[in-house]
Amino acid sequence: MKKLLGVALGVLTAIGGFVDIGDLVTNAVVGSRFGMSLAWVVVLGVVGIVLFASMAGRVAAVSGRATFEIIRERLGPRAAGANLLASFAINLLTLTAEVGGIALALHLASSVEPRLWIPVAALAVWLVLWRVKFQIMENVAGLMGLLLVGFAVALFQLGPDWGELLRQAVPPSPPGTEHPASYWYYAVALFGAAMTPYEVFFFSSGAVEERWTRKDLGTNRLNVLLGFPLGGMLSLSIAACAAVVLLPAGVEVSSLSQIVLPVAQAGGVLLLALVILGIVAATFGAALETALSSGYTLAQYLGWSWGKFRRPARAARFHLTMIVALLLAIGILMTSVDPVAVTEMSVVFSAVALPLTYVPILVVANDPEYMGEHVNGRVVNALGTVYLVIVVVAAVAAIPLMIATGAGS
Amino acid sequence: MTGTGGEVRLVDARLHLLSRQVLDVDGEPVRTVDDLELAGPDGGEVTAGQEVHVSAILVGPVLATRLFGGRVPDGRLPRIAWDDVGHVGTAIELTVPSDRLDADWVEGWVRDRLIARVPGGRHDPEAGG
Repeated sequence: MKKLLGVALGVLTAIGGFVDIGDLVTNAVVGSRFGMSLAWVVVLGVVGIVLFASMAGRVAAVSGRATFEIIRERLGPRAAGANLLASFAINLLTLTAEVGGIALALHLASSVEPRLWIPVAALAVWLVLWRVKFQIMENVAGLMGLLLVGFAVALFQLGPDWGELLRQAVPPSPPGTEHPASYWYYAVALFGAAMTPYEVFFFSSGAVEERWTRKDLGTNRLNVLLGFPLGGMLSLSIAACAAVVLLPAGVEVSSLSQIVLPVAQAGGVLLLALVILGIVAATFGAALETALSSGYTLAQYLGWSWGKFRRPARAARFHLTMIVALLLAIGILMTSVDPVAVTEMSVVFSAVALPLTYVPILVVANDPEYMGEHVNGRVVNALGTVYLVIVVVAAVAAIPLMIATGAGS
Repeated sequence: MTGTGGEVRLVDARLHLLSRQVLDVDGEPVRTVDDLELAGPDGGEVTAGQEVHVSAILVGPVLATRLFGGRVPDGRLPRIAWDDVGHVGTAIELTVPSDRLDADWVEGWVRDRLIARVPGGRHDPEAGG
Protein backbone atom coordinates (compact mmCIF):
# COMPACT_ATOMS: atom_id res chain seq x y z
CA MET A 1 0.00 0.00 0.00
CA LYS A 2 2.85 2.34 0.87
CA LYS A 3 4.43 1.60 -2.49
CA LEU A 4 1.09 2.31 -4.14
CA LEU A 5 0.75 5.68 -2.43
CA GLY A 6 4.37 6.37 -3.40
CA VAL A 7 3.18 7.10 -6.93
CA ALA A 8 0.73 9.71 -5.67
CA LEU A 9 3.03 12.58 -6.67
CA GLY A 10 3.06 11.37 -10.25
CA VAL A 11 -0.69 10.75 -10.29
CA LEU A 12 -1.48 14.18 -8.89
CA THR A 13 1.01 15.89 -11.22
CA ALA A 14 -0.53 14.03 -14.13
CA ILE A 15 -4.18 14.46 -13.11
CA GLY A 16 -3.66 18.09 -12.16
CA GLY A 17 -1.24 18.91 -14.95
CA PHE A 18 -2.55 16.76 -17.71
CA VAL A 19 -6.27 16.69 -17.17
CA ASP A 20 -6.69 20.17 -15.71
CA ILE A 21 -9.35 22.49 -17.01
CA GLY A 22 -7.07 23.45 -19.91
CA ASP A 23 -6.84 19.90 -21.20
CA LEU A 24 -10.49 19.14 -20.53
CA VAL A 25 -11.43 22.07 -22.71
CA THR A 26 -8.74 21.68 -25.37
CA ASN A 27 -9.30 17.95 -25.77
CA ALA A 28 -13.06 18.29 -25.99
CA VAL A 29 -12.80 21.15 -28.49
CA VAL A 30 -10.30 19.18 -30.55
CA GLY A 31 -12.41 16.00 -30.43
CA SER A 32 -15.55 17.83 -31.50
CA ARG A 33 -13.80 19.57 -34.41
CA PHE A 34 -11.00 17.30 -35.58
CA GLY A 35 -12.09 13.86 -34.35
CA MET A 36 -9.11 11.76 -33.30
CA SER A 37 -6.82 13.27 -35.94
CA LEU A 38 -4.74 15.06 -33.27
CA ALA A 39 -4.30 12.00 -31.04
CA TRP A 40 -0.65 11.77 -32.12
CA VAL A 41 0.04 15.12 -30.43
CA VAL A 42 -1.14 13.75 -27.08
CA VAL A 43 1.17 10.74 -27.49
CA LEU A 44 4.05 13.06 -28.48
CA GLY A 45 3.33 15.24 -25.45
CA VAL A 46 3.16 12.29 -23.05
CA VAL A 47 6.57 10.99 -24.16
CA GLY A 48 8.03 14.50 -23.85
CA ILE A 49 6.71 15.19 -20.38
CA VAL A 50 7.74 11.71 -19.17
CA LEU A 51 11.26 12.41 -20.45
CA PHE A 52 11.69 15.84 -18.90
CA ALA A 53 9.74 15.27 -15.68
CA SER A 54 11.82 12.18 -14.93
CA MET A 55 14.98 14.21 -15.62
CA ALA A 56 13.83 17.05 -13.34
CA GLY A 57 12.81 14.53 -10.66
CA ARG A 58 16.17 12.79 -10.90
CA VAL A 59 18.07 16.08 -10.56
CA ALA A 60 15.96 16.98 -7.51
CA ALA A 61 16.43 13.55 -5.91
CA VAL A 62 20.20 13.39 -6.45
CA SER A 63 21.21 17.03 -5.87
CA GLY A 64 18.30 18.38 -3.82
CA ARG A 65 17.95 21.29 -6.24
CA ALA A 66 14.51 21.99 -7.73
CA THR A 67 13.98 23.07 -11.32
CA PHE A 68 13.81 26.83 -10.98
CA GLU A 69 16.99 26.95 -8.88
CA ILE A 70 18.67 25.21 -11.81
CA ILE A 71 17.15 27.59 -14.34
CA ARG A 72 18.50 30.57 -12.38
CA GLU A 73 21.89 28.95 -11.87
CA ARG A 74 22.44 28.00 -15.52
CA LEU A 75 20.76 30.89 -17.34
CA GLY A 76 21.84 33.69 -14.96
CA PRO A 77 19.54 36.35 -13.52
CA ARG A 78 18.60 37.93 -16.85
CA ALA A 79 17.38 35.00 -18.98
CA ALA A 80 16.02 33.23 -15.91
CA GLY A 81 14.20 36.44 -15.00
CA ALA A 82 12.57 36.49 -18.44
CA ASN A 83 11.52 32.87 -17.93
CA LEU A 84 10.21 33.76 -14.46
CA LEU A 85 8.08 36.59 -15.83
CA ALA A 86 6.64 34.36 -18.56
CA SER A 87 6.15 31.32 -16.33
CA PHE A 88 4.64 33.34 -13.52
CA ALA A 89 2.17 35.01 -15.88
CA ILE A 90 1.14 31.68 -17.43
CA ASN A 91 0.88 30.16 -13.97
CA LEU A 92 -1.38 32.97 -12.83
CA LEU A 93 -3.58 32.63 -15.91
CA THR A 94 -3.79 28.88 -15.37
CA LEU A 95 -4.53 29.30 -11.65
CA THR A 96 -7.29 31.75 -12.62
CA ALA A 97 -8.69 29.24 -15.10
CA GLU A 98 -8.58 26.41 -12.52
CA VAL A 99 -10.32 28.39 -9.77
CA GLY A 100 -12.90 29.39 -12.38
CA GLY A 101 -13.08 25.74 -13.44
CA ILE A 102 -13.83 24.59 -9.87
CA ALA A 103 -16.56 27.22 -9.70
CA LEU A 104 -18.01 26.09 -13.05
CA ALA A 105 -17.98 22.43 -12.00
CA LEU A 106 -19.65 23.27 -8.69
CA HIS A 107 -22.17 25.37 -10.61
CA LEU A 108 -22.86 22.34 -12.81
CA ALA A 109 -23.47 20.22 -9.70
CA SER A 110 -25.48 22.75 -7.71
CA SER A 111 -26.83 25.34 -10.17
CA VAL A 112 -25.67 28.06 -7.79
CA GLU A 113 -24.23 31.04 -9.75
CA PRO A 114 -20.48 30.38 -10.47
CA ARG A 115 -19.47 33.85 -9.27
CA LEU A 116 -20.63 32.95 -5.77
CA TRP A 117 -18.49 29.81 -5.89
CA ILE A 118 -15.29 31.64 -6.89
CA PRO A 119 -14.33 33.04 -3.45
CA VAL A 120 -15.37 29.76 -1.80
CA ALA A 121 -13.18 27.78 -4.19
CA ALA A 122 -10.19 30.11 -3.69
CA LEU A 123 -10.57 30.00 0.09
CA ALA A 124 -10.68 26.20 0.03
CA VAL A 125 -7.51 26.10 -2.09
CA TRP A 126 -5.74 28.44 0.33
CA LEU A 127 -6.83 26.42 3.40
CA VAL A 128 -5.31 23.27 1.90
CA LEU A 129 -2.08 25.12 1.06
CA TRP A 130 -1.94 26.63 4.54
CA ARG A 131 -2.80 23.64 6.64
CA VAL A 132 -2.79 20.21 4.98
CA LYS A 133 0.23 17.93 4.87
CA PHE A 134 1.75 17.57 1.37
CA GLN A 135 1.27 13.80 1.17
CA ILE A 136 -2.38 13.94 2.25
CA MET A 137 -3.02 16.69 -0.29
CA GLU A 138 -1.56 14.71 -3.18
CA ASN A 139 -3.22 11.43 -2.21
CA VAL A 140 -6.74 12.87 -1.84
CA ALA A 141 -6.66 15.09 -4.93
CA GLY A 142 -4.93 12.42 -7.04
CA LEU A 143 -7.22 9.56 -6.03
CA MET A 144 -10.43 11.56 -6.46
CA GLY A 145 -9.19 12.84 -9.80
CA LEU A 146 -9.07 9.21 -10.91
CA LEU A 147 -12.88 9.38 -11.13
CA LEU A 148 -12.25 10.97 -14.53
CA VAL A 149 -11.83 7.38 -15.70
CA GLY A 150 -15.59 7.86 -16.11
CA PHE A 151 -14.82 9.35 -19.52
CA ALA A 152 -13.22 6.07 -20.59
CA VAL A 153 -16.19 4.12 -19.18
CA ALA A 154 -18.56 6.39 -21.07
CA LEU A 155 -16.61 5.81 -24.27
CA PHE A 156 -17.05 2.03 -23.95
CA GLN A 157 -20.75 2.39 -23.15
CA LEU A 158 -21.24 4.58 -26.22
CA GLY A 159 -20.08 1.57 -28.23
CA PRO A 160 -18.38 3.62 -30.93
CA ASP A 161 -17.11 2.40 -34.28
CA TRP A 162 -13.53 1.73 -33.13
CA GLY A 163 -12.31 1.24 -36.68
CA GLU A 164 -13.52 4.70 -37.60
CA LEU A 165 -11.81 6.31 -34.57
CA LEU A 166 -8.59 4.53 -35.48
CA ARG A 167 -8.90 5.62 -39.11
CA GLN A 168 -9.10 9.26 -37.93
CA ALA A 169 -6.01 8.81 -35.77
CA VAL A 170 -3.59 6.84 -38.03
CA PRO A 171 -2.60 8.24 -40.38
CA PRO A 172 -3.87 11.59 -39.08
CA SER A 173 -6.56 12.81 -41.43
CA PRO A 174 -7.99 16.20 -40.46
CA PRO A 175 -11.59 16.70 -41.62
CA GLY A 176 -11.78 18.60 -44.91
CA THR A 177 -14.03 21.24 -43.37
CA GLU A 178 -11.18 22.64 -41.25
CA HIS A 179 -8.36 24.92 -42.41
CA PRO A 180 -4.84 23.39 -42.02
CA ALA A 181 -3.69 26.43 -40.00
CA SER A 182 -6.41 25.75 -37.41
CA TYR A 183 -5.31 22.13 -37.30
CA TRP A 184 -1.72 23.15 -36.53
CA TYR A 185 -2.85 25.81 -34.08
CA TYR A 186 -4.62 23.15 -32.04
CA ALA A 187 -1.64 20.82 -32.42
CA VAL A 188 0.56 23.46 -30.74
CA ALA A 189 -2.10 24.12 -28.09
CA LEU A 190 -2.38 20.41 -27.22
CA PHE A 191 1.39 20.05 -27.12
CA GLY A 192 1.69 23.11 -24.88
CA ALA A 193 -1.05 21.77 -22.61
CA ALA A 194 0.72 18.42 -22.31
CA MET A 195 4.15 19.89 -21.59
CA THR A 196 3.11 22.91 -19.46
CA PRO A 197 6.23 23.98 -17.51
CA TYR A 198 4.38 24.10 -14.19
CA GLU A 199 4.18 20.30 -14.26
CA VAL A 200 7.99 20.03 -13.95
CA PHE A 201 8.16 22.91 -11.44
CA PHE A 202 5.61 21.10 -9.30
CA PHE A 203 7.00 17.61 -9.81
CA SER A 204 10.62 18.53 -9.00
CA SER A 205 9.66 20.71 -6.02
CA GLY A 206 7.34 17.92 -4.85
CA ALA A 207 10.32 15.57 -4.91
CA VAL A 208 12.11 17.98 -2.55
CA GLU A 209 8.96 18.28 -0.39
CA GLU A 210 8.92 14.49 -0.07
CA ARG A 211 12.68 14.51 0.65
CA TRP A 212 13.57 12.17 -2.19
CA THR A 213 17.18 10.98 -2.29
CA ARG A 214 19.17 8.71 -4.59
CA LYS A 215 17.21 5.80 -3.10
CA ASP A 216 13.98 7.16 -4.57
CA LEU A 217 15.10 7.11 -8.19
CA GLY A 218 12.95 4.02 -8.74
CA THR A 219 9.93 5.82 -7.28
CA ASN A 220 10.68 8.72 -9.61
CA ARG A 221 10.67 6.46 -12.65
CA LEU A 222 7.49 4.66 -11.52
CA ASN A 223 5.76 7.98 -10.89
CA VAL A 224 6.33 9.41 -14.34
CA LEU A 225 5.78 6.11 -16.17
CA LEU A 226 2.42 5.53 -14.47
CA GLY A 227 1.19 9.08 -13.96
CA PHE A 228 1.63 10.80 -17.30
CA PRO A 229 0.50 7.94 -19.59
CA LEU A 230 -2.58 7.68 -17.36
CA GLY A 231 -3.16 11.39 -17.86
CA GLY A 232 -2.69 10.97 -21.59
CA MET A 233 -5.15 8.07 -21.66
CA LEU A 234 -7.78 10.21 -19.88
CA SER A 235 -7.13 13.08 -22.34
CA LEU A 236 -7.66 10.75 -25.29
CA SER A 237 -10.90 9.40 -23.75
CA ILE A 238 -12.24 12.93 -23.42
CA ALA A 239 -11.36 13.70 -27.03
CA ALA A 240 -12.84 10.38 -28.20
CA CYS A 241 -16.12 10.98 -26.32
CA ALA A 242 -16.37 14.36 -28.04
CA ALA A 243 -15.47 12.82 -31.41
CA VAL A 244 -18.20 10.18 -31.07
CA VAL A 245 -21.05 12.35 -29.77
CA LEU A 246 -20.32 16.00 -30.50
CA LEU A 247 -18.54 15.84 -33.89
CA PRO A 248 -21.42 14.15 -35.78
CA ALA A 249 -23.94 16.44 -34.06
CA GLY A 250 -21.94 19.51 -35.12
CA VAL A 251 -21.72 20.83 -31.54
CA GLU A 252 -18.89 23.32 -30.93
CA VAL A 253 -17.69 23.07 -27.35
CA SER A 254 -17.87 26.36 -25.51
CA SER A 255 -18.93 25.32 -22.01
CA LEU A 256 -18.22 22.67 -19.41
CA SER A 257 -21.73 21.22 -19.67
CA GLN A 258 -21.06 20.31 -23.30
CA ILE A 259 -17.87 18.48 -22.35
CA VAL A 260 -19.78 16.15 -20.03
CA LEU A 261 -22.70 15.72 -22.44
CA PRO A 262 -21.36 12.41 -23.87
CA VAL A 263 -20.96 11.07 -20.32
CA ALA A 264 -24.56 11.90 -19.46
CA GLN A 265 -25.75 10.32 -22.68
CA ALA A 266 -23.79 7.12 -22.12
CA GLY A 267 -23.83 6.52 -18.39
CA GLY A 268 -26.76 8.47 -17.03
CA VAL A 269 -26.91 10.51 -13.87
CA LEU A 270 -24.69 8.33 -11.68
CA LEU A 271 -21.71 8.34 -14.06
CA LEU A 272 -22.26 12.05 -14.68
CA ALA A 273 -22.14 12.74 -10.94
CA LEU A 274 -18.91 10.76 -10.57
CA VAL A 275 -17.28 12.53 -13.51
CA ILE A 276 -18.28 15.96 -12.19
CA LEU A 277 -16.73 15.00 -8.85
CA GLY A 278 -13.63 13.95 -10.78
CA ILE A 279 -13.56 17.30 -12.59
CA VAL A 280 -13.84 19.17 -9.29
CA ALA A 281 -10.96 17.10 -7.87
CA ALA A 282 -8.78 17.47 -10.98
CA THR A 283 -9.28 21.22 -11.27
CA PHE A 284 -8.82 21.57 -7.50
CA GLY A 285 -5.59 19.57 -7.77
CA ALA A 286 -4.45 21.75 -10.66
CA ALA A 287 -5.31 24.90 -8.68
CA LEU A 288 -3.13 23.62 -5.83
CA GLU A 289 -0.35 22.78 -8.27
CA THR A 290 -0.38 26.15 -10.01
CA ALA A 291 -0.68 28.11 -6.75
CA LEU A 292 2.27 26.17 -5.32
CA SER A 293 4.20 26.62 -8.55
CA SER A 294 3.80 30.39 -8.37
CA GLY A 295 5.43 30.24 -4.94
CA TYR A 296 8.05 27.69 -6.01
CA THR A 297 9.24 29.62 -9.06
CA LEU A 298 9.56 33.01 -7.36
CA ALA A 299 11.12 31.60 -4.18
CA GLN A 300 13.59 29.42 -6.07
CA TYR A 301 14.62 32.27 -8.38
CA LEU A 302 15.35 34.58 -5.44
CA GLY A 303 16.57 31.85 -3.07
CA TRP A 304 13.82 32.33 -0.46
CA SER A 305 12.89 29.60 1.95
CA TRP A 306 10.02 27.57 0.41
CA GLY A 307 8.04 24.38 0.83
CA LYS A 308 4.82 23.09 2.28
CA PHE A 309 6.77 20.84 4.63
CA ARG A 310 7.93 23.94 6.55
CA ARG A 311 5.77 25.86 9.00
CA PRO A 312 4.23 28.80 7.08
CA ALA A 313 6.22 31.17 9.31
CA ARG A 314 9.45 29.46 8.20
CA ALA A 315 8.63 30.14 4.54
CA ALA A 316 6.85 33.44 4.95
CA ARG A 317 7.38 35.04 1.55
CA PHE A 318 6.56 31.75 -0.21
CA HIS A 319 3.16 31.67 1.50
CA LEU A 320 2.63 35.38 0.90
CA THR A 321 3.26 34.84 -2.83
CA MET A 322 0.60 32.13 -3.00
CA ILE A 323 -1.92 34.30 -1.14
CA VAL A 324 -1.30 37.22 -3.51
CA ALA A 325 -1.60 34.89 -6.54
CA LEU A 326 -4.96 33.58 -5.30
CA LEU A 327 -6.25 37.10 -4.63
CA LEU A 328 -5.21 38.15 -8.16
CA ALA A 329 -7.01 35.12 -9.59
CA ILE A 330 -10.22 36.05 -7.75
CA GLY A 331 -9.84 39.62 -9.02
CA ILE A 332 -9.47 38.50 -12.63
CA LEU A 333 -12.45 36.14 -12.39
CA MET A 334 -14.68 38.79 -10.83
CA THR A 335 -14.47 40.74 -14.08
CA SER A 336 -16.74 37.94 -15.46
CA VAL A 337 -14.06 36.84 -17.93
CA ASP A 338 -14.77 33.36 -19.28
CA PRO A 339 -12.39 30.84 -17.61
CA VAL A 340 -12.60 28.58 -20.66
CA ALA A 341 -11.27 31.39 -22.88
CA VAL A 342 -8.54 32.24 -20.35
CA THR A 343 -7.46 28.61 -20.45
CA GLU A 344 -7.20 28.40 -24.21
CA MET A 345 -4.93 31.47 -24.20
CA SER A 346 -2.69 30.28 -21.39
CA VAL A 347 -2.09 26.92 -23.07
CA VAL A 348 -0.74 28.55 -26.24
CA PHE A 349 1.46 30.97 -24.31
CA SER A 350 2.97 28.11 -22.37
CA ALA A 351 4.24 26.68 -25.66
CA VAL A 352 6.25 29.90 -26.08
CA ALA A 353 7.94 29.54 -22.68
CA LEU A 354 8.88 25.87 -23.06
CA PRO A 355 12.50 26.15 -24.34
CA LEU A 356 13.72 28.36 -21.47
CA THR A 357 12.58 25.70 -19.00
CA TYR A 358 13.62 22.50 -20.74
CA VAL A 359 17.12 23.51 -21.94
CA PRO A 360 18.58 24.03 -18.42
CA ILE A 361 17.07 20.76 -17.20
CA LEU A 362 18.76 18.84 -20.02
CA VAL A 363 22.09 20.62 -19.40
CA VAL A 364 22.14 20.04 -15.63
CA ALA A 365 21.02 16.42 -15.97
CA ASN A 366 24.34 15.96 -17.80
CA ASP A 367 26.48 17.80 -15.21
CA PRO A 368 28.46 15.35 -13.05
CA GLU A 369 28.87 18.01 -10.34
CA TYR A 370 25.14 17.75 -9.73
CA MET A 371 24.43 14.20 -10.81
CA GLY A 372 27.57 12.16 -10.07
CA GLU A 373 27.05 8.78 -11.71
CA HIS A 374 23.38 9.48 -12.39
CA VAL A 375 23.95 11.69 -15.45
CA ASN A 376 21.76 11.12 -18.52
CA GLY A 377 22.37 8.07 -20.66
CA ARG A 378 22.84 8.32 -24.42
CA VAL A 379 19.28 7.37 -25.35
CA VAL A 380 17.77 9.96 -22.99
CA ASN A 381 20.09 12.65 -24.36
CA ALA A 382 19.27 11.77 -27.96
CA LEU A 383 15.52 11.87 -27.22
CA GLY A 384 15.94 15.04 -25.17
CA THR A 385 17.70 16.79 -28.05
CA VAL A 386 15.01 15.75 -30.52
CA TYR A 387 12.37 17.11 -28.14
CA LEU A 388 14.22 20.41 -27.75
CA VAL A 389 13.94 20.86 -31.51
CA ILE A 390 10.19 20.11 -31.41
CA VAL A 391 9.76 22.44 -28.43
CA VAL A 392 11.56 25.30 -30.21
CA VAL A 393 9.50 24.78 -33.39
CA ALA A 394 6.26 24.83 -31.35
CA ALA A 395 7.40 27.93 -29.46
CA VAL A 396 8.26 29.82 -32.65
CA ALA A 397 5.05 28.75 -34.43
CA ALA A 398 2.65 29.44 -31.54
CA ILE A 399 2.09 33.19 -31.82
CA PRO A 400 2.03 33.43 -35.66
CA LEU A 401 -0.50 30.55 -35.79
CA MET A 402 -2.58 32.23 -33.12
CA ILE A 403 -2.70 35.47 -35.13
CA ALA A 404 -3.23 33.75 -38.49
CA THR A 405 -6.16 31.64 -37.28
CA GLY A 406 -7.71 34.20 -34.94
CA ALA A 407 -7.01 31.85 -31.99
CA GLY A 408 -8.28 28.81 -33.88
CA SER A 409 -11.72 30.10 -34.78
CA MET B 1 39.88 25.98 -2.11
CA THR B 2 40.87 22.36 -1.61
CA GLY B 3 38.59 19.50 -2.51
CA THR B 4 38.62 15.80 -1.73
CA GLY B 5 42.02 14.17 -1.84
CA GLY B 6 43.73 17.46 -1.09
CA GLU B 7 43.91 18.50 -4.73
CA VAL B 8 43.34 22.13 -5.53
CA ARG B 9 39.85 22.65 -6.91
CA LEU B 10 39.25 25.43 -9.37
CA VAL B 11 36.16 27.45 -8.65
CA ASP B 12 34.83 29.57 -11.48
CA ALA B 13 33.08 32.50 -9.83
CA ARG B 14 30.56 32.92 -12.63
CA LEU B 15 29.76 29.22 -12.95
CA HIS B 16 30.14 27.93 -9.40
CA LEU B 17 29.24 30.89 -7.20
CA LEU B 18 26.93 33.38 -8.89
CA SER B 19 23.22 32.51 -8.82
CA ARG B 20 23.75 29.50 -6.55
CA GLN B 21 21.47 28.84 -3.59
CA VAL B 22 22.89 29.76 -0.16
CA LEU B 23 21.91 27.40 2.68
CA ASP B 24 22.45 28.06 6.38
CA VAL B 25 24.02 25.59 8.82
CA ASP B 26 20.67 23.73 9.18
CA GLY B 27 20.17 23.48 5.43
CA GLU B 28 17.53 26.23 5.39
CA PRO B 29 17.55 28.40 2.24
CA VAL B 30 18.89 31.90 2.90
CA ARG B 31 19.11 33.64 -0.49
CA THR B 32 20.67 33.18 -3.90
CA VAL B 33 24.14 34.64 -4.56
CA ASP B 34 23.28 37.82 -6.44
CA ASP B 35 26.80 39.29 -6.55
CA LEU B 36 30.21 38.96 -4.91
CA GLU B 37 32.23 41.58 -3.04
CA LEU B 38 35.95 41.60 -3.75
CA ALA B 39 38.69 43.01 -1.51
CA GLY B 40 42.41 43.63 -1.86
CA PRO B 41 45.08 41.59 -0.04
CA ASP B 42 44.79 43.58 3.21
CA GLY B 43 41.01 43.73 3.06
CA GLY B 44 41.14 47.21 1.56
CA GLU B 45 40.30 48.65 -1.85
CA VAL B 46 40.85 46.58 -4.97
CA THR B 47 43.58 48.04 -7.17
CA ALA B 48 44.57 46.89 -10.65
CA GLY B 49 47.43 44.39 -10.80
CA GLN B 50 47.04 43.31 -7.18
CA GLU B 51 45.73 40.02 -5.87
CA VAL B 52 42.07 40.10 -4.80
CA HIS B 53 39.84 37.72 -2.86
CA VAL B 54 36.11 37.27 -2.35
CA SER B 55 35.18 38.98 0.90
CA ALA B 56 31.40 38.65 0.94
CA ILE B 57 28.30 37.33 -0.81
CA LEU B 58 25.91 40.11 -1.75
CA VAL B 59 22.16 39.53 -1.87
CA GLY B 60 18.97 41.47 -2.46
CA PRO B 61 18.89 44.97 -4.02
CA VAL B 62 22.17 44.35 -5.82
CA LEU B 63 20.28 42.01 -8.18
CA ALA B 64 18.19 44.91 -9.47
CA THR B 65 21.26 47.07 -10.12
CA ARG B 66 22.98 44.17 -11.88
CA LEU B 67 19.98 43.80 -14.20
CA PHE B 68 19.08 47.43 -14.76
CA GLY B 69 22.23 49.39 -13.86
CA GLY B 70 22.71 51.98 -11.13
CA ARG B 71 24.31 51.60 -7.73
CA VAL B 72 23.12 50.52 -4.31
CA PRO B 73 24.40 52.83 -1.50
CA ASP B 74 27.21 51.00 0.35
CA GLY B 75 25.47 50.98 3.73
CA ARG B 76 22.37 49.33 2.26
CA LEU B 77 24.12 46.30 0.79
CA PRO B 78 23.00 43.14 2.59
CA ARG B 79 26.12 40.95 2.74
CA ILE B 80 27.11 37.55 4.06
CA ALA B 81 30.78 37.46 5.07
CA TRP B 82 32.85 34.90 3.15
CA ASP B 83 34.27 33.73 6.52
CA ASP B 84 30.83 32.22 7.24
CA VAL B 85 30.99 29.98 4.16
CA GLY B 86 31.74 26.35 5.00
CA HIS B 87 31.38 24.47 1.74
CA VAL B 88 30.91 25.26 -1.94
CA GLY B 89 28.95 22.54 -3.74
CA THR B 90 25.80 22.65 -5.84
CA ALA B 91 24.69 24.99 -3.06
CA ILE B 92 26.79 27.27 -0.87
CA GLU B 93 26.63 26.07 2.73
CA LEU B 94 27.16 28.45 5.62
CA THR B 95 28.44 27.64 9.09
CA VAL B 96 25.95 29.93 10.86
CA PRO B 97 22.14 29.78 11.33
CA SER B 98 20.12 32.16 9.17
CA ASP B 99 18.66 33.95 12.23
CA ARG B 100 22.15 35.28 12.98
CA LEU B 101 22.42 36.94 9.57
CA ASP B 102 20.94 40.38 9.17
CA ALA B 103 21.13 39.97 5.39
CA ASP B 104 17.49 39.08 5.19
CA TRP B 105 15.29 41.38 7.20
CA VAL B 106 12.41 41.28 4.66
CA GLU B 107 11.71 37.60 5.33
CA GLY B 108 11.63 38.38 9.07
CA TRP B 109 9.31 41.33 8.51
CA VAL B 110 6.84 39.33 6.39
CA ARG B 111 6.96 36.53 8.94
CA ASP B 112 6.43 38.62 12.08
CA ARG B 113 4.00 41.20 10.68
CA LEU B 114 1.90 39.01 8.36
CA ILE B 115 2.25 35.25 8.13
CA ALA B 116 2.82 34.39 11.80
CA ARG B 117 -0.22 36.51 12.75
CA VAL B 118 -2.65 34.47 10.65
CA PRO B 119 -4.10 31.61 12.72
CA GLY B 120 -2.08 28.45 12.06
CA GLY B 121 0.93 30.40 10.81
CA ARG B 122 3.24 28.54 13.17
CA HIS B 123 1.49 25.18 12.76
CA ASP B 124 3.77 22.36 11.70
CA PRO B 125 2.16 20.73 8.64
CA GLU B 126 4.14 17.50 9.13
CA ALA B 127 2.60 17.05 12.60
CA GLY B 128 -0.69 15.98 11.00
CA GLY B 129 -4.06 17.67 10.59
